[in-house]
Amino acid sequence: MNALAVIWPALHRLASELPSSAPQGRNIIGAQIAIGSLFSIHILIAGLVSGAAELGPAIEFLGYMRQRRNYDRLAHGLGRFITLYFSVSSTIAILLITVLLVGFWGHFWTTIVTIAWWPLFIEAWTFVLQVSLAYLWYYTWDPLRGFKGVHMAIGGLLAIASFLQVYMIDVVASYMLTPTDPQNPIRLVLNPTSYPLTVHRTVGNLAYVGFVIGAFCAIRFLRARKPEDKVFYDWAGSFGLLWGISLTLLQPVVGYSYAKEIQLHAYSSWYKMMFGTLSPWFLWQITLLGIMFLTATLYFARRLRTNGARGAGLLKAMAVGLVLTTLLAAQPYHLGLTYDAVAGAGLNRPFWDGGLINPLGSMIPWKVLALMFYTLIAIAAVVWYLRGLPGVVWGAARRGEQRLLMLMAVLTILMMVTMGFIRENSRAPFLISGEMTIQGQQNVQPTVSPSPSGGG
Amino acid sequence: MGRIAAVYDWLDERAAIRSLVRKGLYEAVPVRGAWFYTLGSATLVLILLQLVTGIFLTLLYVPSVTEAWASLNYLKQHDAFGSIVRGIHLWSAYILLFVIGLHMVRTFFSGSYKRPRELNWVTGVGLFVLVLGMAITGAFLPWDQAAYWTAVVVTNIPAYTPFIGSFIRALWRGGDFVGPITLSRTFGIHVWLIPAILFPLILAHLALLRKHGEFGSYINYRGAYRSREGVDVPPAPAERPIEPPYPAVPTDELWAAPLQTEDFFPFQTFKDGLVSVVLVIVVFALAVAIGAPLEAIADPSTTSYTPVPQWFFLPLDELLLLVPQQLIPLVLVLPTGGVLLLLALPFIDRSPERNPFERPAVMVPGAFAVLFVVILTLLGSGRLFNL
Repeated sequence: MNALAVIWPALHRLASELPSSAPQGRNIIGAQIAIGSLFSIHILIAGLVSGAAELGPAIEFLGYMRQRRNYDRLAHGLGRFITLYFSVSSTIAILLITVLLVGFWGHFWTTIVTIAWWPLFIEAWTFVLQVSLAYLWYYTWDPLRGFKGVHMAIGGLLAIASFLQVYMIDVVASYMLTPTDPQNPIRLVLNPTSYPLTVHRTVGNLAYVGFVIGAFCAIRFLRARKPEDKVFYDWAGSFGLLWGISLTLLQPVVGYSYAKEIQLHAYSSWYKMMFGTLSPWFLWQITLLGIMFLTATLYFARRLRTNGARGAGLLKAMAVGLVLTTLLAAQPYHLGLTYDAVAGAGLNRPFWDGGLINPLGSMIPWKVLALMFYTLIAIAAVVWYLRGLPGVVWGAARRGEQRLLMLMAVLTILMMVTMGFIRENSRAPFLISGEMTIQGQQNVQPTVSPSPSGGG
Repeated sequence: MGRIAAVYDWLDERAAIRSLVRKGLYEAVPVRGAWFYTLGSATLVLILLQLVTGIFLTLLYVPSVTEAWASLNYLKQHDAFGSIVRGIHLWSAYILLFVIGLHMVRTFFSGSYKRPRELNWVTGVGLFVLVLGMAITGAFLPWDQAAYWTAVVVTNIPAYTPFIGSFIRALWRGGDFVGPITLSRTFGIHVWLIPAILFPLILAHLALLRKHGEFGSYINYRGAYRSREGVDVPPAPAERPIEPPYPAVPTDELWAAPLQTEDFFPFQTFKDGLVSVVLVIVVFALAVAIGAPLEAIADPSTTSYTPVPQWFFLPLDELLLLVPQQLIPLVLVLPTGGVLLLLALPFIDRSPERNPFERPAVMVPGAFAVLFVVILTLLGSGRLFNL
């Protein structure tokens, strides 16, 4: 009772000192940091869950067709991951919506829910479907062992539900960048960037989960004591990386197409990414992609060399090619923060003429060439590794390869955070391009009604 | 009946019809997965449908810039039957592209291109390219707005070929610009040049198929071969005359005949016939319900028309849109290189393994290529919706 007597007035005093309403628009930077960082964490976990819900059933199917137990074990592991982390991702999403978005940007949230009512409605139901199927898929693994076809069908439905869920939220996210007629739900769903963003994210999530499998298995491989575990984690790490890198090879084309649509329909955002304050981030992103291809190729070369399998020498030569093309991709075009700053200072001429322009860093043709060539080299590296795989003895990998697998996951996470940062900031100061700014959030101000008891 | 039999005997004595029919109808084919093996005959039926409807259309169509559109407009306005025939020609071409693509994918996944069927695959790739050529040249012929602007874009593509590009473009266009000569030359290519290569190639493809037999896929051979170590001794295939003898004999593994076979007639012919009939019904329904569109007559001076590519041209169109002007020649290497790679496939992938799940070094790049085309098509179609 004494403790309560102390705590109660303290709580009462604290409550009286808190603002009576949500801090709408009062601390824009703080709100941006809070929402941005929490969204990044949410996307990192949710992307993994969605990717696992799509990749897991595919691996189960492959295992069934090849009659290999290791595939089944890996798919089962992904099912376990989904059941463990689904709620974490959901909790962050709910916190984001109910506390941060409604609290800080209430006007925006009401508007976007009104506009994107149907996509969000479908999103909610696919969410229910996804969670039901995910648990069903995982917990019926053993009971349905004799009915593998039924179990794989459940997995297939889970993959479809996960894809739909991502697609619906992509509709909303893409609308915010390239808005269309809000009265027309078809135009809303088919807004200019909804297709490229959905393809980009779906492929990206699948690749991301592959890289994370690689890193997780690398850690488990290093800690494994039993030979059969070493065999499994060695194989699964290689499988995850192969899966991840193969899908990432599609991303330059999809990403380029996405950027092209932004150029056509949200020019100021595109300009900011290519020439403005976000251009250094964009440069970092294209460099990071080259580093990812290089890291994967190094893993392939080392893994083949460990067992003396054929192809390691050529893979090393490919790694040299990747270093050169990545260096070309990493060339900055303007040697200042933005092109406008350089042009404003009258220094938009080549550096050998005393300016701050590096022609070798121009997007056309050099960066596009670098993108094309490092992608082609990475395709060749994947094919070469696959050719050499029959000579690999699983379980015999060394520490270096495992470190490369872990590095790949770190690079992927960096890539995802960078891309999210670029996309969200390209709209700034708008939350919905050209229509609603971050500053326009104070429109909803709750009136404070006087307390009947006179406060206290 | 007696007279018919007598006529049959008379013909058989002179043309050996009986043995030809027997050879044609009573070949052993694999049982399992046989519905997948109907795609080849469906392709043939659709090509024949193209031929028949094409002959009908040439009876009325006039390949000149002043008459082409008018002749098709006449069909549209005044000749219901002719309009349906044109619809069948268009929709069977669309479905043909889809079915021949599926047939190729099926052959690729099942590894049916391997020894000794390499030439069958090579002729098949040739047929695919020619059918694509038929579709592209056919798109010029209505001479409406869509046709004209397709002609402008497509005839410009060869210009990016190093050294001889401008010459090829001028040869096709009949000058610097798309005009009357372009239409008559394209018509000539569509109705004479391509069919002159296409039909002999079809015969060669069928003759090779008959020579080597339908391979099927690995599921038809599961457990039917002896490995190097001598394990997995196959259950003896049923004693029956198999003509021509299976298999694609590799040096170190003895491939036997498919575990279960049945006669081509009536079993496989029933499946082939059913799939073909369903496709023809679908084509007919689409021809009646939707028909073949005909836009306004070609107007080279227009500035308000937004050209939309044919759906089968979407992947290349998207690629051309994405890539900067200076790098287009480099991008055009992709489809050219893709076709060359397809032609070379049986000579690159020479291992006896047919199971797609055990051939990752071929399947992953193959699946990647298919995915690449699908994604480009998706991105392109997304762009079309936003016009």
